[in-house]
Amino acid sequence: MEAVVKNTFGSKVNEVAGVNKQDARITLTFFTVAFIAFFLGCVLGLLQGLNRAGLLELPAWLNYYQVLSGHGVLLVLVFSTTFMLGYFLAAFSHTLGGLLPKVRKMAWVGFALMVVGVVFVATTIIMGDASVMYTFYPPMAASPWFYVGLVFLVLGIWAVLFGGFINVADWRKKHKGQHLPLLAYFATGAFVLFFFGSIGVTIEVLMIIPWAFGWTETINVMLSRTLFWSFGHTLVNIWYLTAVSSWYVAVPKLIGGKLLSDSLARLVVIILVVLNITGGFHHQIIDPGITEGIKFMHVFMSLSIAFPSLMTAFAMFAVFERTGRKKGAKGLLGWIKKLPWGDVRFLAPMIAMIGFIPAGAGGIAQTNNQLNQVVHNSMWVVGHFHLTLGVTVVLSFCGIAYWLIPHLTKRVLTPKINKLGVIQTIVWSLGMLFMSGAMHWVGLLGSPRRTSYTTYGDNATALGWDPYLLFLAVGGTLLIIGAVLMVYIVFHLMFKAPKGETEFPIAEAEEDASETPKWTERWTLWIALMIAIVAMAYVIPIVDMIVNAPPGSPPFRTW
Amino acid sequence: MKQAIYGLVLYIFLMLPPVVTLAESVMAIHMHMQMPLFVVAGFLMAPFFQKRFPNFFAKWNSNGVPGIILFMIIVLYWLLPRTMDEALTIPAVEIFKFISLPFLAGIPLRDSWKKLGSLGKNIIYVSLSVLFGVMAWLYIASPTQLCNNYLIVEQKTLGWGFVFLALAIMIYFIQTLFIDKSEYE
Ligand code: HEM
Ligand SMILES: [Cu+2]
Repeated sequence: MEAVVKNTFGSKVNEVAGVNKQDARITLTFFTVAFIAFFLGCVLGLLQGLNRAGLLELPAWLNYYQVLSGHGVLLVLVFSTTFMLGYFLAAFSHTLGGLLPKVRKMAWVGFALMVVGVVFVATTIIMGDASVMYTFYPPMAASPWFYVGLVFLVLGIWAVLFGGFINVADWRKKHKGQHLPLLAYFATGAFVLFFFGSIGVTIEVLMIIPWAFGWTETINVMLSRTLFWSFGHTLVNIWYLTAVSSWYVAVPKLIGGKLLSDSLARLVVIILVVLNITGGFHHQIIDPGITEGIKFMHVFMSLSIAFPSLMTAFAMFAVFERTGRKKGAKGLLGWIKKLPWGDVRFLAPMIAMIGFIPAGAGGIAQTNNQLNQVVHNSMWVVGHFHLTLGVTVVLSFCGIAYWLIPHLTKRVLTPKINKLGVIQTIVWSLGMLFMSGAMHWVGLLGSPRRTSYTTYGDNATALGWDPYLLFLAVGGTLLIIGAVLMVYIVFHLMFKAPKGETEFPIAEAEEDASETPKWTERWTLWIALMIAIVAMAYVIPIVDMIVNAPPGSPPFRTW
Repeated sequence: MKQAIYGLVLYIFLMLPPVVTLAESVMAIHMHMQMPLFVVAGFLMAPFFQKRFPNFFAKWNSNGVPGIILFMIIVLYWLLPRTMDEALTIPAVEIFKFISLPFLAGIPLRDSWKKLGSLGKNIIYVSLSVLFGVMAWLYIASPTQLCNNYLIVEQKTLGWGFVFLALAIMIYFIQTLFIDKSEYE
């Protein structure tokens, strides 16, 4: 009884005040770190781009690989993680009637641990002791404190994740027989994936620490790489899930439409959670020590992840068409004109979706063994993930920021800032179009990734890359303009924008929507299935790597 | 009834010659994928038989104990290295595998599980995880080749597979002790 009273009180407060102030502070703090990391990461990216184009020689105290490590760590480990956690905490707070006090505490503890971790990691990189790139796999060895920092980072993330689980469990207890709200469902899926995906890398880091300190002499390189990619790949799909959640939940509302199908969205979450972790092998197609049979099996595992993406594409375009037709669109494609292109909260995620069409196609291509041979470790791959991450994920995140930040700070997105946002989106997209296009092309011509500028003794082939690399620099310059605009907008929305009410957009189901099946709530079942699939995929190759291991490698410092 | 059809499709799929060859070419896949999938096929087909022969199940498996004992016997039988070897070399044993796992393990498991009380379920969780632990120890620690058809490396892999299975069942079991599902659903 007491719980019920408390709960209705909580939602009343929510209705009146719009947001819970304490919860908002958590999300805004995470976002602040996220966008600072974003800005710094992009500056480093520009340095790399200019260097690769042969326009900028980095000084001796700022090594290319040090910059690259910073770029990768800041953008893929710090920016995306802090943004995702902050966003989903806000989602829990909004859809579940506020975070529990205990959960709020866990979020802050998690944040503190993450900050400690990032300080360790950043310091070692700045000191030039950790130019091992964000993948940090052996036999390259950084200062041991770099890995200690990673441990803190992981512990901090876990604290937040478990806070999320506790909040969901509490809600379910108080709302027996109800479905978790769709956005909270996405968040739960992403958190489950994050936790299980991070187990492998935690084991890896715990193997590396004694080796980096010199307490153990050698390390199993193949095993570390495999454990890393079980995480690295999962991380990518966690952001994807984060981005997709806003497409399903927020975008239809913003364009004045409705949710196409609640069940379909939940099915996408389930498939991504169950099938994801095993995709890690597609990053190791060229690795030795994995038999052909296993690699063959993993082509299927990897391609199966494309399936939910195709479902999402279908669902989104169906929503757009329906909404457009309701607004009176005629003809086959008339609905396209009815979409609110001038609204940045729509434009940014829309370009994110469009960007995912070539990005996904490239991904499907490069997961095939033969095609992967052509592009492996070339600039093509860098082009690929600047499309998936740099366009799809980043623009979706920006799209979220345009409404979530004003919602939390009780401010509004003014038409002027909206216009600036549109400009930002266009500049960023053009920049990525140039940069990623050039990277794809020059990769096909053989230019390697993770290599500072060199002409290989004026070799003709290498010289032939230069014109394309110039486009890379042009793109990078546009991107840095986009980054500056974005960071300005973020902090403007946080501190300067005029006061007012901004809604947290959550699409409603169609009137004739069918009932969401009960089995979607069987999380134990999905987790059990996920573990079964992970076991199927990993036990055989990992035992092989351990039992038939080569002598192992001492640490190397290659820079 | 949809489930029963899925079960039948899975059953037939598993018996297609190329699928059989592929599944049996690796020891861990043979024991940890093919065999459980046969049980799953039976599990899915169970409603068909339960509807067809309600009296049979009511009479012979009224409290679920006979069914679960049959299930355990069949599982135990197929855990032995010798039986796996024979399935590969003697066609009759292979056919027995195709029949016993779905019909004598999968169907009784489904019929019994709902009828068992929590004590019965707990006994099954614990004995399965202990059993799998022992199998893990056997397959990992054995210095000699246990199957004529599979190498020692494959044996060790299988052993580690058992470690995971045992752990997974144990974790699930402990979870059931602490989390009351009815509070959530
Ligand atoms: C101003 C914007 C950006 C520029 C100019 C830029 C430029 C670059 C360049 C030139 C490389 C390739 C270096 C090489 O392989 O030799 C690179 C790598 C990378 N970028 Fe970016 N990038 C930008 C934004 C982003 C964003 C927004 C993300 C992700 C959220 C991102 C993630 C990465 C990752 C993960 C790598 C790979 C690092 C590695 O190989 O270890 N970048 N970037
Ligand atoms: Cu991947």
